[in-house]
Amino acid sequence: MPGDHDMGAYPEPPRQTPAVDKQTALPNPELILSKLFYYSVDLPVTTFRDAIDNIRSRNKLVYYHQKFRRVPDLTDCQEGDYVCYYEAEMQWRRDYKVDQEIVKVIQERLKACQQREGNSYQQNCAKEIQQFNEVTKNYLSRYGDLGAYANGRKCLMKQKERMMAAQAQSA
Amino acid sequence: MVGMSVLRSAAAFAARLSPLKSGNNAVNLLTRTIPRTDKVAVRWGHGKKMFIVRPSDFYDRRFLNLLQYYILLTGIPVAVLITCVNIFIGEAELAETPEDYEPEHWEYYKHPITRWIARNMYDSPVKDYEKMMAAIQIEKEKADMRLTQLEVRRHMRQKGDGPWFQVPTLNKELIDNSYKSSPDN
Repeated sequence: MPGDHDMGAYPEPPRQTPAVDKQTALPNPELILSKLFYYSVDLPVTTFRDAIDNIRSRNKLVYYHQKFRRVPDLTDCQEGDYVCYYEAEMQWRRDYKVDQEIVKVIQERLKACQQREGNSYQQNCAKEIQQFNEVTKNYLSRYGDLGAYANGRKCLMKQKERMMAAQAQSA
Repeated sequence: MVGMSVLRSAAAFAARLSPLKSGNNAVNLLTRTIPRTDKVAVRWGHGKKMFIVRPSDFYDRRFLNLLQYYILLTGIPVAVLITCVNIFIGEAELAETPEDYEPEHWEYYKHPITRWIARNMYDSPVKDYEKMMAAIQIEKEKADMRLTQLEVRRHMRQKGDGPWFQVPTLNKELIDNSYKSSPDN
């Protein structure tokens, strides 16, 4: 299981709870409930997890991130060189997956920001919102309506259409 | 007494002949005790046992029992195996690839069972890639050869001086030209 999220990446605003100023002799129910939760749920779960981690730490396995070499693109292939087409197609598919993950990360950031800020998210998360809009606009312009049977050639044709539209607009 | 036994045997014979007629119940005739319905002890412990008439659920219950048995026969060992793998051999952790170390293809997966499958049952993705490229290369060569064959065929048919499309004809030396020298024979 992954560790807890990086506290520095999504910094929480400084706490503004006032100092405890107890004026009654009655016990604090919040304290009672939190202690109850701790002893009944938190402690058993944590000890169980630690026990399992102890057992697991004897057979530690690692996995690595696979890096692929860049190969010539579809535009750099000779006509009729189907092997080159295949390699370019595979590279395009890997890039497509990477772009999808990038969009997901940006979405996660926006969602976390909105959850943090609550009702004032529209002004406090302006940077995240702007980033999200830009990233999704670019993603849609590149991979937008390609559909389920998308491949590198169709994406290239879409790019050609985009360039033609841009040229027609500028001319 | 003898008369009683004759009557009883006659009633038993009648019961044997027509057992469904009321009053011919052989049990009541053969036993000496007669149930006294006014002196039965009434207990409300479990209530009177009723035979509720409903269709047989034997086949349904048998099916469900067998289903449960055959599902759990392999289901429980698989569940135990997966639990043990998850507890004793945990999932892998992401690490930086050390310098000048080429990880094996199964070391790119997280779960130990996935790693095992990738190591023992699947070919490495590099090998799959190369297999696909080899197939594409073979098909490309076949297609090129077919195109050149069509081209060569076209040329040979047109020009006629190649080895293809040769029609065997008779030997020229077999023609008798002797009578052609004197036309007015």
